[in-house]
Amino acid sequence: MSRAKLQELGINLPLFPTTSVGSFPKPDYLVKARADFAKKLISREELTQKERQATEFWIRKQEELGIDVLVDGEMYRGDMVAYFAEHLPGFELGGLVRSYGNRYYHKPIITEEVRWEQPITVDWWKYAQGLTSKPVKGMLTGPYTVMDWSFNEHYASRRETCLALAKVIRREVEALVQAGAKIIQIDEPATSVRPEELQIAIEGLRIATEGLPAYFITHICYGAFEHIYPEMLNMPVENFDLEMSNSGLDMLALFRKSPFTKDLSFGVVDVHSHVIEAEALVEQRLRDGLSVLPKENIWVDPDCGLKTRSVEEAIEKMRTLVKVAHALRN
Amino acid sequence: MNLTTINHSSYPRIGDDPGQQVLRRTIAEWEKGAKSDADLRAAEERLSELALAEQIEAGLDVVTDGQVRWYDSISHLAGKLSGVRINGLLRFFDTNTYFRQPVVNARVERTRPLALDDFLFAKVKSSRPVKVVLTGPVTLARHSIEENGGAGGFEKLVEGYTEALAAEIAALAQAGAILVQIDEPSLLKNPEDLVIAGRALAVLVAAKGKAEILLALYFGDAAPLYDQLQNLPVDSLGLDFTYSPRLGEVISASGSAKTLALGFVDGRNTKLEDAGAVARQIETLARRLNATRLYLTSSCGLEYLPRDRARLKLRRLAAIKNEFLGGRT
Repeated sequence: MSRAKLQELGINLPLFPTTSVGSFPKPDYLVKARADFAKKLISREELTQKERQATEFWIRKQEELGIDVLVDGEMYRGDMVAYFAEHLPGFELGGLVRSYGNRYYHKPIITEEVRWEQPITVDWWKYAQGLTSKPVKGMLTGPYTVMDWSFNEHYASRRETCLALAKVIRREVEALVQAGAKIIQIDEPATSVRPEELQIAIEGLRIATEGLPAYFITHICYGAFEHIYPEMLNMPVENFDLEMSNSGLDMLALFRKSPFTKDLSFGVVDVHSHVIEAEALVEQRLRDGLSVLPKENIWVDPDCGLKTRSVEEAIEKMRTLVKVAHALRN
Repeated sequence: MNLTTINHSSYPRIGDDPGQQVLRRTIAEWEKGAKSDADLRAAEERLSELALAEQIEAGLDVVTDGQVRWYDSISHLAGKLSGVRINGLLRFFDTNTYFRQPVVNARVERTRPLALDDFLFAKVKSSRPVKVVLTGPVTLARHSIEENGGAGGFEKLVEGYTEALAAEIAALAQAGAILVQIDEPSLLKNPEDLVIAGRALAVLVAAKGKAEILLALYFGDAAPLYDQLQNLPVDSLGLDFTYSPRLGEVISASGSAKTLALGFVDGRNTKLEDAGAVARQIETLARRLNATRLYLTSSCGLEYLPRDRARLKLRRLAAIKNEFLGGRT
């Protein structure tokens, strides 16, 4: 583990630190409040009050479960790209496009130079961190993913778009660091989609993070890792948060061929299944990981954000992984 | 030189107006048991009619039914075949959209029409010729997995899908289809499949009757494969120009024995093309090819765009054609 960097930052974590990828399910009262706000039935202040209530619920729940590195649960976000697009001048919120089947989302459109005018996530990070003495991760979406999941009517190329967004996202990283965030996760789930563009993603993350005093994590999921490994290890982060369980731990075969040289937030529960995994299964997954990776390098978390599960399922999945991590730790 | 504007394939099945959301609402209620199969069919037909009307209003020469009934490009067809069950979600190429993966556990067989009913509906509702779009056998096989021996391996699986699609094409031709598009985006990602694709396409072409078979390739750079694509036994070839800065030069240098469908309009980005600039590109290409006929289309289906932008792209296709014809009409 990059213990030295964490210790420099004043963070001491146990073996097998537990965390989660970012999002938790929104409680029913918040789902209703968001719908009411969209229909203009309640004010922004009333919605924010519910978002704060739900954030506090998840901070308390994570503490109760014994999680080591907390997240705010993203109670105030809808889509992971659209949220940032809504807060950055230069974007327009486009019309609905299909994600799959009967699911649709508003895909942002870059219509002019994207600018950072003020912090987007910092107040939420401060609020969440103010509720706990445990470290809370700063949570951002990376420049490559924001580029790939937006339409572009302004910049000349995908690379130019990504690098321009990287400069914007760096301002948010700086603001989080200034506020006191020591662990910052920058999600890049689109990274593995066009292997030939991996260097652009790396360049973007470098611009966003270089020289800044924080322990950086990136989350990548549901892609063709075989096409970008081991080159992806050149991403300038200390920790890769990877979906391992959904893909049957097949990444481990890649790690056997070419050693994984960073810390790994090891996804031990599948977020697309209602089934709460048995502790024995989760333990076996971690033991399989330990056959390839040094124990000091492993963090324990779910495959991906838990927002698509029910509140109860999310809690039980987290409870299971914490129990297994604690047992192995001891 | 005849330039025909053709809708590529899919069209958004939702829009921001409430009337354009009838299918989403109906499917959601149908899934809960609150709407009947007849309600669902009516909503699909309503959206298909809307898609046809918008294409015709935009001035396209050849339209599609918008594929508004399709869950995705893979499971919609594969799921209608025996020997296949439909499994979980996977990412579709480099798009941020997902398809459900077919799991093949026996020989695949066509036991009912795949696209025939949709074609017959569109044909009645459209004042313009209707193109039928089918996902090709290699792309279907590349996106399937086999279990319990499945179809007997990849080549057998391609053969099974090919036979099923050939029967569909025969039925479509008999019903009056004049243009059938076979989508094979996987060939650009897996060029090693070109030989098996050639055999499969020969079977499909043998079933076409009087219909024309257009092979559509997208989501990748066709330039390195262009000469091999010219050897495939199809009547016409549709190409995505958004991935290929060299494609125009390659085509100019090699020529074309087939009618080309030029995917100059980006189906994945909202930015509208400069109609004059594209018209000049077509003029240059037409001159070098000495072509008598070309198709103009988008790089891929338009369902990746919001509806308002997709509609503008359709109009842009017509505008490019007008620019191209400027001075000639």
